[in-house]
Amino acid sequence: MTYGNALTVLADPTRRQVFERLRAGPHAVNAIAAGLPVSRPAVSQHLKALKAAGLVQERSEGVRRIYSVRREGLADLRDWLDSFWDDALEAFKREAEKPTAKKTRSR
Amino acid sequence: MSRSTPIEPVRKSVRVTAPIAHAFEVFTSGLTRWWPHNHGIGKKPIQKVLLEPRLGGRWLEISQDGSETSVATIIQWEPPHRLVMVWQVNAQWKPDVTMKSEVDVRFTAEGANVTHVELVHHKFETMGAQAGASLRKDVNGGWPGLIERFAQEAERSSPIQAH
Repeated sequence: MTYGNALTVLADPTRRQVFERLRAGPHAVNAIAAGLPVSRPAVSQHLKALKAAGLVQERSEGVRRIYSVRREGLADLRDWLDSFWDDALEAFKREAEKPTAKKTRSR
Repeated sequence: MSRSTPIEPVRKSVRVTAPIAHAFEVFTSGLTRWWPHNHGIGKKPIQKVLLEPRLGGRWLEISQDGSETSVATIIQWEPPHRLVMVWQVNAQWKPDVTMKSEVDVRFTAEGANVTHVELVHHKFETMGAQAGASLRKDVNGGWPGLIERFAQEAERSSPIQAH
């Protein structure tokens, strides 16, 4: 379940910041780490977690590793977060099945 | 590239343990009691969501500041069996009276206390190929803005300001 991972992984505030930086465009680890209050190895660990959850991807450029947002990962998350008519009908069912005060007190 | 190339309808159904008349009443007059209030196209926050229960009746979002946004209009009204609404929402999820995709909801009694509700959202092709495909994808799978809201909340609650 990719989306489950994505939610868990993004629950960490530092990791969200790392992810947010990548939303602006692909970056090397150093550039991502610059300005963050955590060490470069820690940023690498966060990137690893984001990658495992399918939220980012990496490619090599010489000795550097460039990270970028993986759009499909976000789409999975979005699908999970909401589904328009499915959610609506589910909510409708719950309301329609509530016992009504005037009709049936006991069944 | 034709405007009239059909786009596959979105079909959803649900079975509710309730008599057909009750199910229909909850779906229509009782809309605000169940409609997810984050599913809105007008001004937020939403205070209530009304469906005027008659032919020509509107689906109205009333926001907390009192402003009204019309989402849909009932074009077929056959209580307690069916209602059809023209869904006046464009691909950007903004109210737009020129939009004409349709939401067709049918209620079938499968027993005294069991109702099958089938919802078909179709005629996306009336919006144009691209816009229609976009809206279809949204109503079938996701609601636009939710991931953005999630991201906003994630950013807001983040202890360090992004730059």
